[in-house]
Amino acid sequence: MFDLEGYGHLLWEGGLLTLKVGVFSMVIALFLGLVMAMCKLSKIWILDFPAGVYTTVIRGIPELVLILLVYYGGPTLIQDFAAMLGRDIYVDLNPFFAGSMTIGFIYGAFATEVFRGAFMAVPRGQIEAARACGMGPFLAFRRIQMPQMWRFAIPGLGNVWMVLIKATALISVIQLPELMRSADVAARSTRKPFTCFFMASLIYLLITILSLVFQQWAEKRANRGVRRE
Amino acid sequence: MDELKKVAVRAENIYKSFGSLEVLKGITFEADEGDVISLIGSSGSGKSTFLRCINLLEAPTSGEIIVGNEHIRLKKNRKGKIVTADRKQVDRVRTKLAMVFQHFNLWSHMTVLENIIEAPVHVLKKNKKDAKDRGMELLEKVGIADRYHYFPAQLSGGQQQRAGIARALAMEPDVLLFDEPTSALDPELVGEVLKVMKDLVKEGRTMIMATHEMGFAREVSSHVIFLDQGITEDEGPPSYIFGKPESERCRLFLSNLV
Repeated sequence: MFDLEGYGHLLWEGGLLTLKVGVFSMVIALFLGLVMAMCKLSKIWILDFPAGVYTTVIRGIPELVLILLVYYGGPTLIQDFAAMLGRDIYVDLNPFFAGSMTIGFIYGAFATEVFRGAFMAVPRGQIEAARACGMGPFLAFRRIQMPQMWRFAIPGLGNVWMVLIKATALISVIQLPELMRSADVAARSTRKPFTCFFMASLIYLLITILSLVFQQWAEKRANRGVRRE
Repeated sequence: MDELKKVAVRAENIYKSFGSLEVLKGITFEADEGDVISLIGSSGSGKSTFLRCINLLEAPTSGEIIVGNEHIRLKKNRKGKIVTADRKQVDRVRTKLAMVFQHFNLWSHMTVLENIIEAPVHVLKKNKKDAKDRGMELLEKVGIADRYHYFPAQLSGGQQQRAGIARALAMEPDVLLFDEPTSALDPELVGEVLKVMKDLVKEGRTMIMATHEMGFAREVSSHVIFLDQGITEDEGPPSYIFGKPESERCRLFLSNLV
């Protein structure tokens, strides 16, 4: 029943690609989230407003729609635009980059809210103590707020990562041979959909369980000195 | 006296409002070098707010603050609110006014020694090794040298506050500000903190403290200020305030204690 008829390596490679897409997207999401959270907290209108639009719009549109919009809609938009200027060009997006960027962009919006909450959770007194000994706002941010923020952010970021990994399955619609797509190919070729999709499920589960272990380690590290053992 | 004392901190006609709530209604105050000034009064009388105005954690709504010979520049922002005008000046002045907080506010992600060397290294740009040596001396002085590698959460309240005092001393400040340093402590831990503070008084340090410890204020202060509803209701040497103060409210406040 669990004979994959030589398609095992396909699933395995699909799993690795999923992991690659996931990590790449997560790096983008973390970077965007951190920057956008700082914009939102800056109280400077010109930074705060675009960040607000970003999180509101992106969180309000389904991932699948955005992926299709970027991958299929993006090139045609550019081509139509070029045609308007009297140029005839052909744009082809790399599915890995288009997919990862889109996923990263979407989950960056969720990460923004996680970071924003985490920054606000750092007790005021911690920052006041820093300012009271003459630290400027940037030094206090870097030395006090930033290191303490992680403690509050990690549980939420762990959550973002879990949902993000599962969302990478959506990239299968743009022909990227990640785990979902590979399982689909294997299922059609072997005519064993249960076995193939079941194996794919196990690989997803393996990734998320390992992530949880990592998250626990990170949480423990970030909580150093705060909770008594 | 032939020796002229230098003014450490002067505040003139300080007003402070939070929204429509007026907390300080024109306080004038002067602390000379070596003075130990206690601010007493009931909760909400404005002692903490006043202390926080001195090091500009709160910008006064109006009034003037002079620290040493620096006149703190204030300005109106676009919304018409008074804010400090020169951040560099404020940061510089704050290094001379170290504050000890009611809730300690030790940085929770750093060990005790790291807490103490943080500002000397990153603000005063001291060499790390010297800062550590000095930090250990100070921990010795406040009696928790054996706990230098502990995180704040692993210490008792009294130990945390003593670490807080060591952190303030590490800045080599001209003036020490204490914002109700023993109010958050269990009664049996108050003594160890007061003892450290008494040692500082003996060293001749300039100290300004908001406090509820009347016995302590009476014993160590050179001057006591009774704040009530945002004004200086009465002030004078401890023998006067704790003896026969003119103010009815002050007498009432003191008789209601104990």
